[in-house]
Amino acid sequence: MSTASEAIELPARYRRLPRVHPALRRPLAVTGAAILAIWVLVAIFAPLIAPYGPDVLGNSLSAAPSSAHIFGTDQLGRDVFSRVLYGARISLPISALLVLMSLTIGSTVGSLAGYFGGVVDGVIMRIVDLVFAFPAIILALVVTAVLGPSLQNAVLALVVVSWPTYARVVRGLVMSASQREYVQASRLLGASARQTLLRDILPNVIGPVVVLATLDFGNAILLLSGLSFLGLGAQPPTAEWGAMVSYGTQYFQDWWMSTFPGLAIFSSVLALNFLGDSLRDALDPHGSWTTRGGRR
Amino acid sequence: MSGISAVFLRRRIALSAVAALAIALTAYTGSSSAHGAARSSSAGTLVVDTSFIISSADPARDLDPTGYIVDHALYDTLLTEHGSSTKVQPDLATSFKASPNATTYTFQLRHGVKFSDGTPVTSADVVFSLNRVINLKSAPAYLLAGLKITAKGPYTVVIKSATPNPAIPQIVTAPALGIVNAKAVMAHGGSDAANASKTDHAGQFLDQTSEGSGPYTLTQYSTNNQITLTANPNYWGPKPKFAKVVLRDMTAASQLLNVQRGSNQIALDLSSQQADSLKNNSSLQAHTSASPNLFFLQATSNPKVSPVLANHDIQQAIRYGIDYRGMVATAGTGAIQAAGLIPVQFLGGLPTSYAVKQNIAKAKKLVAQSGLKNPTVTLSYPSDISVNGLSFATLAQRVQYDLGRIGITIKVQAVPVAPFLTAYSADKYQLVQSYWGPDYADPNDYLVFLPGGSVSSRMDWPASANPALVALGKRAGSTSNNALRAGLFKQIQEKLDQSSPFFPLIQPAQAIVGSSNLTGVALNPSWLLSVAEVGTK
Repeated sequence: MSTASEAIELPARYRRLPRVHPALRRPLAVTGAAILAIWVLVAIFAPLIAPYGPDVLGNSLSAAPSSAHIFGTDQLGRDVFSRVLYGARISLPISALLVLMSLTIGSTVGSLAGYFGGVVDGVIMRIVDLVFAFPAIILALVVTAVLGPSLQNAVLALVVVSWPTYARVVRGLVMSASQREYVQASRLLGASARQTLLRDILPNVIGPVVVLATLDFGNAILLLSGLSFLGLGAQPPTAEWGAMVSYGTQYFQDWWMSTFPGLAIFSSVLALNFLGDSLRDALDPHGSWTTRGGRR
Repeated sequence: MSGISAVFLRRRIALSAVAALAIALTAYTGSSSAHGAARSSSAGTLVVDTSFIISSADPARDLDPTGYIVDHALYDTLLTEHGSSTKVQPDLATSFKASPNATTYTFQLRHGVKFSDGTPVTSADVVFSLNRVINLKSAPAYLLAGLKITAKGPYTVVIKSATPNPAIPQIVTAPALGIVNAKAVMAHGGSDAANASKTDHAGQFLDQTSEGSGPYTLTQYSTNNQITLTANPNYWGPKPKFAKVVLRDMTAASQLLNVQRGSNQIALDLSSQQADSLKNNSSLQAHTSASPNLFFLQATSNPKVSPVLANHDIQQAIRYGIDYRGMVATAGTGAIQAAGLIPVQFLGGLPTSYAVKQNIAKAKKLVAQSGLKNPTVTLSYPSDISVNGLSFATLAQRVQYDLGRIGITIKVQAVPVAPFLTAYSADKYQLVQSYWGPDYADPNDYLVFLPGGSVSSRMDWPASANPALVALGKRAGSTSNNALRAGLFKQIQEKLDQSSPFFPLIQPAQAIVGSSNLTGVALNPSWLLSVAEVGTK
């Protein structure tokens, strides 16, 4: 026991927190941002970092990781490390595009429903319910099966299944925001629907939607890889992570073929989830985005 | 002749990776208990693990790989093959005579042979069985197309063909042409009449009981679980070593685990890589050999579908542009480059030394010579099946890369097998990554690749394209002297290598892994494994 014990011990909750940099109070956010930043850099500079081209067939087939091929090579002699790096150029931008597309469609439709209410709301929300009635991956499978397997079609399929999430959240937010006095005032002053939505309501909606989009980004990477894994997304020889994992499972005794692209999916999704959770704590402490329901 | 669709769908086709994975997950749980049961049984049980592809235990109704293993054990055929050899050997027939023009074959039956129920085997049973195959119009019916079967006394059977057909001795080894007990099968709704396809109801009966004279009898038949065979006490030939044979439906992943755990075990569906990984295991024997399956590219000859591929220089550039050595390495130990279309182990197969060698300089020169700027071709392949553990996508990517290096841009197009086959037959594709599995071990099965043949017509290569070659094919198909026939087929394949829309790639590796205490673990090109020939050291 030190002499300090003789001083009055305050209960923990009254003690002053040690001074730390604000960022360090959210280690998850920092970790997530750092991993994501690394992946973005990898995606941009892949041709400079990768030792080989993604589709170059070398002479050592199915080689275990070594100094020449740090992640080994696949059945056709392609360097797995280079392919994982190039994979970032597909998974990240395409998932981002996917999120952007569903966000745009979902938000537009959702705000129309929330703002106008009535029949418009009824029709839109029933469509949303209809899409929600099916598990996302099953519906995406159906859509790609109809359109034919390709990366574009996989993206389209995922947009079809993911826009309703945004529509529902935005509708709720717009509905509650449009009851506020300042919105009413702006409408009384003769502002058009477009003005009111963009100027008065949008700033109140943007926080939760950004949080949702960040979390959805990770989910989009996962779904896209999932479709490619099932052979419905990226087609060979595209260096797409999900397709690479799928290819590797055919040769499961050569563990490196699927493990490394799998880790790439894992790390990027984890980073986006960390970032999304922290953003939610910061931007949307009341958790209004959870109005989308316990879908995932 | 069977369409390639039939071949595609029935021969040694592994499930797609996705489906296989899903099944692997469920099969893992089942495999341990099934294995426990096998181990506790007597040493007289042989366990064969394979991914079941079987539609019926009625030989006249099934051409599937697992069905062939079962039928070959249950039913005798007129002639047969031993081990991995494709040499025709006596079975129910002790000898046969061919007429000089190869249209009439007379078989002398073995005396004293009895079916498993004790009834003697006579020529009437043979005639009934073969006519039943013809009239059921089921998958195996094409084997006997154009043939007439008659009896001449109780121990003589005559097979007559309208056109010379020296492949008949090889054809009658097919397990689908197993001889059934005519009386017993008729008593249970069987028929060999012209309308048998409607009136025969013996299929279900033969799924429960076997009515053959083969080394084994059927005791349990379940198409999604296991098939149990018991030694036939009335068998005329050498008694099989194992009193009981259990075939279990297992995914490759489960087979890999099971075969390492027991004795008296055989795994049939391991990839050559998996078999290689077991080579150092002293309690196992692993054999990899070239499968008689053939992977090849086929180009359209229709300039409307692809003006690029209709160009002879481009066709030859493709032939010399492919890195065959890389492709063989990708396919694993045991795979070989296909020098021609006929498998090297068959009569008339071109030895590997005849194979085309990659020559990039020559290929580039040919592309330049064609006068086409930036030639671009779409290569289509079935995306959801694999053969001998090798996916079509793997080979298609190799082709894409190799031809890219000589200046031919290849766009790959993955299509599920069902729509793929439809479009393939309708001449919709420019270049196809295809595959052929033999129906019987004879070069006559490959006449369909000649101009105007059923495979060639799929991509518009008409008989008028090369009448000399068509005439040579007719001659080769009807020559009764086998040495002469082999020479003619070799000549045909060399001509095809010089100019044709076919590009033979590889014969993939076929692996068989068994416990080291077993003998007779050999791969047969037609029925994979003869369980009756498996013994112990």
